[in-house]
Amino acid sequence: MSEIAALIVDDSSVMRKIVERALRQAGLPLSKVHEASSGVEALDVLSSERVQLILSDINMPMMDGLEFLRQLRSQALAPEVPVVMITTESSEEHVKEAIVAGAQSYIRKPFTAEQVKDRVLPLLDLA
Amino acid sequence: MATPARERLQESAHVLHLDDAADEVFRLMMGAPCLPVEESVTEGGETITAVIGLAGVMSGACTLRCDLETALRMAECMVGTRPLELDAMVKDAIGEVCNMVAGAWKGRHAGLAGGCMLSTPAVVTGANYQLHMQQQEFRIDRRYCFEEHIVSISIICESIQ
Repeated sequence: MSEIAALIVDDSSVMRKIVERALRQAGLPLSKVHEASSGVEALDVLSSERVQLILSDINMPMMDGLEFLRQLRSQALAPEVPVVMITTESSEEHVKEAIVAGAQSYIRKPFTAEQVKDRVLPLLDLA
Repeated sequence: MATPARERLQESAHVLHLDDAADEVFRLMMGAPCLPVEESVTEGGETITAVIGLAGVMSGACTLRCDLETALRMAECMVGTRPLELDAMVKDAIGEVCNMVAGAWKGRHAGLAGGCMLSTPAVVTGANYQLHMQQQEFRIDRRYCFEEHIVSISIICESIQ
């Protein structure tokens, strides 16, 4: 199984740890986990690092997750990399907005490791 | 004609929605239930309060208050290691729990789910302090037992459209 590098974007360091733990519990073969506390930091990480998966919160200071996603797609940084939004904002409007901005999937907080597995694994080519 | 959010919120059992939201967050993120009780958070000692602002169709706040030992235990359940003191990680954890409860509560109201935004968390620590809001349309105050600890959660509505 190919190893993957992931980027977790959340202004909460606790949530970044929980998401990383959920990815490991899901059995993802993680080679490296990069962290960013805002969209600005995430774009900076992606300017120098290659990742195969991005998980991002929406509600963050400086640059929120939707703006990060728009800039990520418009700058063609990591164009093929799947992005999963993980957020407390779970209305249909928010989900649609994230999908239009370029997200592949959406996980509502609070979540289980099983939910993370169900949403993330289908997006990855782990063969 | 669409029913205003105010009426939909008043029609619904928002206290039960808060109980359900709190229990869901604690079970999923800390592995323990969070059930309503009558006891209060012990006054006098240091307490920690996380505040999430609500804006949009409804403006107000969601607050979560607990004592130091409870905050340390909640953070321990979330990250898997016991913090030694009330550090930035503990405040972060309490803020995130409040954020998730606020999100889960508003997500249970058709009129609020998409029309009410949440702020990033603010965390207040100290003893014998009060949180004041300019005006109140309504307020829900609930106390919960998490393991043997008491957590107070409030929804304070300043105005609703």
